[in-house]
Amino acid sequence: MTDSIATYMTDDHQRCDHLLAACERAVSGGDWNRLAAQTTDFSKALIGHFDMEEQILFPELVAVMPWASGPTGMMTMEHGQMRALVEQLDEAVHAQDADACLGILETLHLVTQQHNAKEEGILYPMAEESLGDQTPDILNRLQAG
Amino acid sequence: MDTGGLSLDQAPPIDIPARFFLTAPLFAIAAGLLLAWEGPTLLVSRWMPGALAATHLIAIGYLGSIMCGALLQMLPVVAGAPVPGVRLVGTATHLLLTVGAAGLAWGLGGGGPTLIWIGAGASALGFLVFVVPVAIALMRARGAPGTLLALRTAALALAVTVALGLLLVAVLQGWLRVAHHTPWVDSHVAWGLMGWVGLLVVGVAIQVLPMFYVTPAYPAPMRRWFAPAVLVGIGAASTAWIMGDELVGRAVIGGVALGFVGFALVTLSSISRRERPRMDPTLLHWWAAMLSLCCAALAWVFAAPPTLVGVLLLVGLGVGLPAGMLFKILPFLTWFHLQHRQLSSGRFDLRIPHMGSLLSIRWARIQFGLHLAALMLLAGSLWVPVLARPAGIALALSSILLLVLLIGVARTYRRGAVLLRPAPSRVEPQS
Repeated sequence: MTDSIATYMTDDHQRCDHLLAACERAVSGGDWNRLAAQTTDFSKALIGHFDMEEQILFPELVAVMPWASGPTGMMTMEHGQMRALVEQLDEAVHAQDADACLGILETLHLVTQQHNAKEEGILYPMAEESLGDQTPDILNRLQAG
Repeated sequence: MDTGGLSLDQAPPIDIPARFFLTAPLFAIAAGLLLAWEGPTLLVSRWMPGALAATHLIAIGYLGSIMCGALLQMLPVVAGAPVPGVRLVGTATHLLLTVGAAGLAWGLGGGGPTLIWIGAGASALGFLVFVVPVAIALMRARGAPGTLLALRTAALALAVTVALGLLLVAVLQGWLRVAHHTPWVDSHVAWGLMGWVGLLVVGVAIQVLPMFYVTPAYPAPMRRWFAPAVLVGIGAASTAWIMGDELVGRAVIGGVALGFVGFALVTLSSISRRERPRMDPTLLHWWAAMLSLCCAALAWVFAAPPTLVGVLLLVGLGVGLPAGMLFKILPFLTWFHLQHRQLSSGRFDLRIPHMGSLLSIRWARIQFGLHLAALMLLAGSLWVPVLARPAGIALALSSILLLVLLIGVARTYRRGAVLLRPAPSRVEPQS
């Protein structure tokens, strides 16, 4: 296990990327049951990641650096956009609309990527610098969540 | 604590990048129509007025515009570095490059020295207005070091290309005298195509391909050493040419070309190892562009006509790759900005169209097919001259289709933006 918040959270981003790609492979395969299962795995991972940030990491960051509420607020708003896309994806899977599934997955992928680039490039390094001694405790809570 | 670059909402207004993207295809259409009009004489040598005109239509009007528009958009997102005064910079750069590309192409195509001078002056000013604030942003930037290094070296190469271009105009006007034109022209071409275009493609590939398609990252030595090595190589080669040592210059540029082949092969291999399964039109364009790059290097090694190398690089890479990227960039920006409007208007009853319904993948594939046909006809026309006119028509058609698809996305944005006007805070009239 890593002792860095940035590494832990970045690895989790990558886990979500792999799960999204697996959904796309399931769409191409045309097996709707498999796709439904993959979509559930993917949305659990993605929403779980948002929850970790919104419930643990962001509040801790704002507690030591009050001005971080601006950037974390922006990130939380983007989580909202992605949660909405995940709901649309569920609907498209139920409607068995392959084109819509691919279009929504594509949108979700790009939104996620630009969002992750900002977190990995700016927010996580900032968290590492400012959380200091609290890092092991916060990491434990992230891993337990 | 330094908060510079930490605001996370720095994307420029959508009309700034969009204006570059929507006028750029006009220049590729113009280049295609010029070839269809002039026919095979245009391709006889790279010194033909028509060839010089078509080259600058594509290099400045199409490629230059798209790259500048995309960089203004991309820098805040990938490097946390907003370009200062982005609205003014974007407007001025777009206007000057558009006027400059048209003027320079017209002048080189036979319109005379005054037009060349005005066109080159406007283009140079356009790039200058762009490169200074972008350099400031790049100095403040943080984030992916490999990408940043490539973008910084590309910006430097652009500055050198423009300076050499201006010097050539001064020579043409008789203000300056040089012993031989060719080494200066070759240096201008090498800095422009390998330095500015080549390194920008490298920077974008390193950043975007792993991101868009979940491919393995580029090898670390390539990320760290490729861009500076290319810069040193082009610098050494152009110095050798200008000092009159043709052979050394050729050998060094051969090394640089070999480096780019290595980059293209690594790119093709990562594309084949991507996790996202779909071969979308953007990826088709990447694939064709990387093959064109390899073919151009092979053609150069086997001393094929320079026009073939030019066609493969300018059309295969320069026209194709940006078109492929626009198929992703413009629909994404549209979705992104409509989302933000939705948040500020509170109209959650309206659903923002996802990317698949903003731009038809089917038509984008047809655009790629037309582009590939144009490229093959163009390459073929160097041996079978009668193919030149159909090649020009195919180039114009593929660029018209690109434009129509982009206009379709822009119209959807307009319609959505009207529906999603921010809610006015007024008291409802009482009945």
